[in-house]
Formats: sequence, structure tokens, C-alpha cells
Amino acid sequence: MFWLFHLAAEGNMDFITRKQIDLVALLQKSHCPTAGAVVLFSGEVRNHNIGKAVKYLEYEAHVGMATKMIAEILLAARNRWSLSIAHAQHRIGKVKVTESAVVVITASVHRGEAYASNRYIIDRIKHEVPIWKCEHFADGSKEWGGNCNCHTETGDPNKHLYEFEVL
Amino acid sequence: MRIQVFAILKDFFKKEFEFKTSAHTIADLRVQLALINPEAAAVLKLCRFAVQDEMVTDHYPLTGNEHVLVIPPSSGG
Repeated sequence: MFWLFHLAAEGNMDFITRKQIDLVALLQKSHCPTAGAVVLFSGEVRNHNIGKAVKYLEYEAHVGMATKMIAEILLAARNRWSLSIAHAQHRIGKVKVTESAVVVITASVHRGEAYASNRYIIDRIKHEVPIWKCEHFADGSKEWGGNCNCHTETGDPNKHLYEFEVL
Repeated sequence: MRIQVFAILKDFFKKEFEFKTSAHTIADLRVQLALINPEAAAVLKLCRFAVQDEMVTDHYPLTGNEHVLVIPPSSGG
């Protein structure tokens, strides 16, 4: 019953949002009587990259494809692990230092599955989903970057190397 | 066909444009887009392509009437 409740809740959830991600509110909705472990990962904007001071990041997405792909990734995680909850949300637009750009929440009976599935979901979102960041630096310069460069190893932009596979 | 580009590719192409092309496959299209703007060639090599919002491979056959998305490497998170 709770599992069904959470599926229904996800149906109303925007996987891509322009609004600030409310981590506390999302965590509050992620308690489940069948889950002994809840893992929340928040990918946040830090104030530096490649030796330069970062002012803010700007994210762009193909919202339709990104929404569909995140839904598929969450479903794949549910098929691979026994999860009470699998949520993910990515922000687009301007995201300031310390704000959350992406959140992944997983819950399961024990922590092993919650950790592993969370890593799987965030890895696949970062490598596959059509979302891009543009870094805006304090010196006024900007750079599209931090992108997936698996092709240097796999020779194919459609083939990725995932951290969850080597852990 | 209609071409739509994203992120860094907007530095090289219009965000969306009509492209008359004889490209028979995505692989051909990748080459032809690089000819329009050679500065984009390095990025284009790394891009994925989607047709009607579905990812496709280099072998995907084109008729000339598609809406093609050119998708640079993801950098979310």
C-alpha cells in the first residue's frame, strides 16, 4: 500500500524543475514504514572549479526527454533493487553556490540497497540524461563543461562507464 | 529537416534551423553539420542524436523530414 502511495506521489513529481529544490520537504516525504534506510544525495554548486572561483551555474535540459529518461532510470533501479522509494529531481536555470542542483532519494529495508541504487541513479542521470551545465565564474567568464567524457575510453558517445559498476 | 541544438552547440549554430541535406544517415548528418561550421567538428563527434525525442544510433536512416536533436555530452549533476 505504501509502495503504491509512493508511486502515485512520484507521478505528481516534476523530475525537472525551475524551482529551488526543497531538500527538507522531499526528505519529509521519504519516510516509509517498510524502509530501514533512507539515502538522500544532493549534488550542490560549489564555489570553485578548475582553480577558478564559481559565481553560479546555469543548467539547461531537454525537459521532455530528460523527464522520460529519469522515469526510466528510476524504474530500472526499482527492477534491480527492492526499493520502497526512488525519487530524483534535477533543477534547471540559474543555481547559486550551496544550492542543490540535483537530488536523489532512495529507501530500502537495509542500507546496502539504498546506497547502491542511489549511486546507480545519480551516475546514470549524470552520464545519460540531456542536461547541461554552464559554469559562470567570478571573473565574468563562462564555460560549458564538466561533461561526460566516457567516449575517450569507450569510443562511443552512447556507451558510458559508471562509478557504480567499479565500486 | 529541422535541426535543434543545445548547450555549447548554440555557440556554433542557431538554436533551431531548417537544413536541406542529402544525408542518408545520422553519421552523414554529423559530417555535414561539421562542414557548415568546422569549429564545431570536435564537439559534434561526441554528440548523441535524437529523432522525435528518441535517441538514435549513427546508422539511423533519414528521410529528410525529421526533427533531429543534436545532444552534446551530458553534464548534469
